[in-house]
Amino acid sequence: MNARLKESLRTAGFMFGLTLVVITCVSALQLATAERVNRNAALFLQRAVMEVSGVPVPEDPAAVGAWFRQSVDAEPASAPIRFRVRDAATGAVSATVYTRQGRGLWGLITAVVGLDPAKGTFRQIRFLDQNETPGLGARITEAWFMGQIEGKTGPFVLKPEGTRSSAPTEIDGITGATITSAAVRDMLNGALLAAAKEKEAVK
Amino acid sequence: MTATKNWKLFKDNLGPQNPIFVQVLGICSTLAVTNVVKNTLVMCLGLIFTTALSNLALSLIRNSIPPRVRMMVEVLVIACMVIVVDIYLKAFYPDISRQLGPYVGLIITNCIVMGHTEAVALTSPPLPALVDGFSAGVGYSYVLLLIACCRELLGTGAVWGVQVLGPHWVNWSIMVMAPGGFFVLAVFVWIVKGWGERPAQKAQA
Repeated sequence: MNARLKESLRTAGFMFGLTLVVITCVSALQLATAERVNRNAALFLQRAVMEVSGVPVPEDPAAVGAWFRQSVDAEPASAPIRFRVRDAATGAVSATVYTRQGRGLWGLITAVVGLDPAKGTFRQIRFLDQNETPGLGARITEAWFMGQIEGKTGPFVLKPEGTRSSAPTEIDGITGATITSAAVRDMLNGALLAAAKEKEAVK
Repeated sequence: MTATKNWKLFKDNLGPQNPIFVQVLGICSTLAVTNVVKNTLVMCLGLIFTTALSNLALSLIRNSIPPRVRMMVEVLVIACMVIVVDIYLKAFYPDISRQLGPYVGLIITNCIVMGHTEAVALTSPPLPALVDGFSAGVGYSYVLLLIACCRELLGTGAVWGVQVLGPHWVNWSIMVMAPGGFFVLAVFVWIVKGWGERPAQKAQA
């Protein structure tokens, strides 16, 4: 009995010790690279905003940062949910970009959605964060899916994949990813709603 | 003496004991990440790093691991190595990290890593364990890279993002989708087995 207890304690102690060592190593590495990872995330957001407002994205990260500082107003500045993109030449707002979140199949999907305030049409959508099934839900990041809202007015209803509808209120869903597709549809319609509310408030 | 033994261990993992086309382990990632050569290379380097170092680490502590929790210990060490790879990619290659998505994390459950720690690391001294882990990773990698070259070439007309085939080439889109991985892997296994097993059959006859 005593020997068995000793063995159990040794086993538990070994596991505890090893876990402690492993966690220490991983945490140290995480902390050491945190700043770099944050910078990467910020750059990714800036690129995404640039893409959904229809501005060609330069290769150089510094150029992206410079453009962002110069032509984008993030509102509110601390945790932006809306970006106003100004045209470099005229200074007029050429695109309003909304950050939207939706419940996907596996977790939250975060995206930026671009709207053209003058025409009241969509530009494009880019996903900042998603954990959908590779090959099914993750196909929302394919170019045709993200680009299909361009020039449409919404609010959207889903059509079967392959319809390639050009109607202003229809988008193709993804076969085998109904929940994900519906989440994206709701995010798009949500952006539209937010834009409408803003207009109301201005009036 | 030990050098030749280690060399044999190394060669075995590349040919007669190859993790992909002989043991048929780690097929999940073989199918998933081989549509573009660049991603495949990163995945392979990650796997070589993980198999080699987890084999080494587990071999070093093999005599003090309580037998009842040995699998928990293995998974813990493997997971640690994989998270190191993941954090490194996130920090220095964010685009590749984003494209590989969950697959880097899935190295933890890659049968090759677990199989080699179970079979070799817990029973061998550190050096052969390291050699075995490293060569298993290399054996996995060259097969994956060959498959990736085929798929990227046929699917996009390019290798490593450089256009190789002329403008008259029509892309086989299926090659960059999941089924393409099945086809190329199957053809690869077929060629290797057909070519490799003939002498053995002759010997029997």
